[in-house]
Amino acid sequence: MKLYFLIQFKMLNRHLAAFGIHPVIGCVLILAAFTGSSVLIFEKTAFAEYLYLAASLSFLARLSDPARNQFLRSCFGKKDYRVVRMLENVIVAAPFAAFLVIEKYYFHALAALFLAGFMSLTIVGNRSGFTIPTPFGKRPFEFTVGFRNSFPVIVLAWFLTVMAVISGNFNLGIASLILVFLVCFSYYLNPENEFYVWIFNSRPGIFLFGKIKTALVYATFLTLPVSLVLSVFYSDKILIIGAFQLLGYIYLGAVVLAKYSSYPHPMNLPQFIILVVSVWFPPLLLAVIPFFYRKSSIRLKTLLA
Amino acid sequence: MIEIKNLNKYYGDHHVVKNARMVFEKGCVYGLVGENGAGKTTLFKCIAGLEKHDGEIITDYGHLKDHLGYLPTEPYFFQKITGMEYIRLLCNARRIKAENIHEKNIFDLPLNQYASTYSTGMKKKLALLAILMQENEVFILDEPFNGVDIQSNILIADIILRMKELGKTVIISSHIFSTLSETCDEIFLMKEGAIIRRVLKADFPALEYEMKQILVGDRIEKLGLK
Repeated sequence: MKLYFLIQFKMLNRHLAAFGIHPVIGCVLILAAFTGSSVLIFEKTAFAEYLYLAASLSFLARLSDPARNQFLRSCFGKKDYRVVRMLENVIVAAPFAAFLVIEKYYFHALAALFLAGFMSLTIVGNRSGFTIPTPFGKRPFEFTVGFRNSFPVIVLAWFLTVMAVISGNFNLGIASLILVFLVCFSYYLNPENEFYVWIFNSRPGIFLFGKIKTALVYATFLTLPVSLVLSVFYSDKILIIGAFQLLGYIYLGAVVLAKYSSYPHPMNLPQFIILVVSVWFPPLLLAVIPFFYRKSSIRLKTLLA
Repeated sequence: MIEIKNLNKYYGDHHVVKNARMVFEKGCVYGLVGENGAGKTTLFKCIAGLEKHDGEIITDYGHLKDHLGYLPTEPYFFQKITGMEYIRLLCNARRIKAENIHEKNIFDLPLNQYASTYSTGMKKKLALLAILMQENEVFILDEPFNGVDIQSNILIADIILRMKELGKTVIISSHIFSTLSETCDEIFLMKEGAIIRRVLKADFPALEYEMKQILVGDRIEKLGLK
């Protein structure tokens, strides 16, 4: 069992190394990012404690994946399997519980730990063979696969939009729009198997244009309900809503290009930093987008030329 | 026509494909046989353009990859993509409108289910169906019969013969010699990265006998089974 956690730790370090970052620095950065985003959530959002519980739950759900649990069951005896699942869930939930305690939400902190325990006994996944329908079947795969993996977060974002209208909190509405865009960005974080690029009979430029076009059209399917509802109920702020929608599209295009600029490897730290800096200083996108486009074209040339 | 001239592939110092020279004509079926690790899959990937290599591939198709259907040994599927979506994806990639998919589903695959839930054989059949619907001119089928039930094996062999009639070029690797002798016009024997022999249909029985001698030999005796 000790070896299992040691291997998990080694795998995390390898992921960080592949991302181009020293494991120690990576751990410090993860801690800083977690603390920073937690402070921000509790400062800026209503119902932060529930959002926080939902975030913890989404991480725990990943550990309850059926295939993963089947593997663990085959590795460990019944008792050890239970202990492993309980321990890893507590490790994941502990930072969330700790921050809830700092924020004096003692009941919610207990709930986070209780959920961790409960989730260790459950398997979350589609074992019924039921296929989640999507409106993206015409142009698979990023949004079809991504939506099926993330639809609870999309539903949560739409729910937050409704809450933003009910509570008269425009910022919450914008946060829900940003959340939907962030989910769309996540569909483009991991590189696909080379076969799925090789099959295209387009040259790199056309391929990238097609990918961006699909991303923008399908992102509209998911973001439009949010933008429309906000535009109806906050018609005086329609320009702000439009600006966020437009920025979302531009960043989505940049993320698609960033993904292929390091293809077939996952996005690395320098690319991630460039994207983050361009969020703080959007005019930088004027240089970043052509830069990613050039690099992507070179990367894709081998498979598509 | 596809002509491969002096194709070499190295992984570091390891010479995986050694100076391969082959010609593939339209309307012909070719087999590639050899032990595991002989370099068959690497050679296929090089021809497909999935691996960088030295040497030349001359073809009258322009960009060969745009007319090539490649069936990998173990096709990769995304976690939550249905069979139908997989076929659409492959057809979209070639700008082909995927029509009458249900009608063309000759393997009776559950196309509305996630492909990742399919059995090994079903995955193979789905991947094959998708490249067939891409209307390719050249097909590379890496172990198309592996894990597939006997009825589908018969169907696949017939599909290969139909493609031959249609003037397509088919290159297959298989460990099941009978399927190759049934469908192929020519078989290449690969050993340790090199094409060591080219055998025409008339000599297939001799090749099968020879392969059996090489592969089995006295190995079973060495087991000392009691």
